[in-house]
Amino acid sequence: MTRTHRLGVTARMIAVLVVLGLAVFPVYWMLVTALTSDEALFGGGLTLLPDLSRLGVFGDALQDGEVVRWLLNSLIIASGTTVLSIALGVPLAYALSRFRFAGKAALGLALLFTQMLPEALLVVPLFAIFRRVDLLNSLHGLVLANTAFVLPVVALILKGAIDGVPRELDEATRVDGGRPPTVLLRVILPLIGPSIAAAAVIAFFHAWNEYVFAVTFIFDKSLQPASVGVAGFIGEQDTSIQSIMSVAVLFTLPAVAFYLFAQKYVVGGMTAGAVKG
Amino acid sequence: MSATTSPARPGRRRTLESRWTPYLFLAPAALYILVFQGLPLLQEVWLSFTRTTLLNPTRSVWVGAENYLDIFTDPSFRQTLVTTLVYVVACVAGSVGLGLLVALLLNGRFPGRGVARALVTVPWAAPGIAVALIATWMFNAQYGILTKALQAVGIDPGASGVLDNPSLALIAVLATTIWQLVPFVAVVLLSALQSVPQELVEAAQVDGAGRWTVFREVTFQVLKPTIGLVAVLMTIWSLRRFELIWLMTRGGPLGTTRTLVIDLYAEAFDAKQLGVAAAIGMVGIVISLIVIVGSRFVARAAERQS
Repeated sequence: MTRTHRLGVTARMIAVLVVLGLAVFPVYWMLVTALTSDEALFGGGLTLLPDLSRLGVFGDALQDGEVVRWLLNSLIIASGTTVLSIALGVPLAYALSRFRFAGKAALGLALLFTQMLPEALLVVPLFAIFRRVDLLNSLHGLVLANTAFVLPVVALILKGAIDGVPRELDEATRVDGGRPPTVLLRVILPLIGPSIAAAAVIAFFHAWNEYVFAVTFIFDKSLQPASVGVAGFIGEQDTSIQSIMSVAVLFTLPAVAFYLFAQKYVVGGMTAGAVKG
Repeated sequence: MSATTSPARPGRRRTLESRWTPYLFLAPAALYILVFQGLPLLQEVWLSFTRTTLLNPTRSVWVGAENYLDIFTDPSFRQTLVTTLVYVVACVAGSVGLGLLVALLLNGRFPGRGVARALVTVPWAAPGIAVALIATWMFNAQYGILTKALQAVGIDPGASGVLDNPSLALIAVLATTIWQLVPFVAVVLLSALQSVPQELVEAAQVDGAGRWTVFREVTFQVLKPTIGLVAVLMTIWSLRRFELIWLMTRGGPLGTTRTLVIDLYAEAFDAKQLGVAAAIGMVGIVISLIVIVGSRFVARAAERQS
């Protein structure tokens, strides 16, 4: 009994290690490629370990004014998108969670419906609209476009979180004369902090990774975000693969770090929001 | 004085509030979505009935259903539909199937479970653009590690590489997509697994049920609704996926990875036919709608049965 049990545990551990290896390997390979010499990369052999004496490539990448500007632009776009989508999403989620009103079902359906609209479809009409109101070639234009796509997800996550706050707490504040904005700000917001953090992570990295609007709406190289910069490396011959991968690592690391850090809440939020719709 | 008026006041205020308050809270977001999604979508619907080119986008000529007739009589669009079908079905089956396996694997007790559950989400956390870049490098014709691995097992992708090989490109794009989706499915199913009643599992085991029977009769029954929802979500996401495919293959080689969204983007920006592109987009939206509505019917029927 114990022998077969121990065998089962060993088999499971091996399976877990294989799955983790498959999950992590491509990102690890990005790091290894950045830290491998030309001779080792193109010599025909196979180097599976990074050469840590080459860590300077990251310093070189951060010395490159263009790369820094990409990352800064991404940071601005992603921060703006996060703030705007949370600011619009919190009151919407509150209305959906706490009130009964005409058109509620239709609004819920509309939010679900937006999840199936491809950016690549709406990029043409949005381009036309943005040109008319002079929002092309600007970072705040991208903030506005990205917010539209991530706001429904943010709202659904936050609605799930507010659903989990007992209504008795609202009632207590209402009896004391608190109006709905007070209830939202004083009672509900402090209790859904983790879900707001999760929604913020999702909104931030949605914008961080957004490509279609950025590549279509931005003409000045100085306003390009990192997603466009990194995508531009694909098929490019002039930049060394180590430099390319070092920038890709700098682009990937914050996303992976934040998702791992906030994982518990992001998962809870995604299951409540995206899945339950 | 206060004794007579105060009981009435909160009541009146509450009725005033309950009528307009929700709209005040939702108005900013609703207006926002209307302006930035509703309006452009309506414009696309209208564009799909016109002849409009990217070079002169403000001049549209109404052509009725001509764009729709054109695409449905075009054999290459039929290939696009088949490619989309293959891509979506494989994405959903692959991600849900493997995601379920990974969830079951990570559900038990074992040392390092917390670390394992965190690390397994790395593919989902990695930005899609970076994933496209690393996948392209791993499939590189000369130096790609996956190309070398394929050659080692006797598959020769040819001089121009996997992503330029008409019989391998779609498989490579699918593998990359599924790699990215599996963690999401696994994590969602893992949290659903927490609601499997352990007494029921133990009772079945006491009755002498094997592992497979326990899974089929207990675990799977609890997971079924979540699996259904995840499958719908994977379908919708796969129908709208753009960056990964576009950056890896641009829909090639020979159109073998040209899904609906790739087709509509190429039609708008390469062929510069905005009307045709819009019509292709509408086909994609109708398919998504059918999937959503159809899944609701199936879910309701399943609920009634149980």
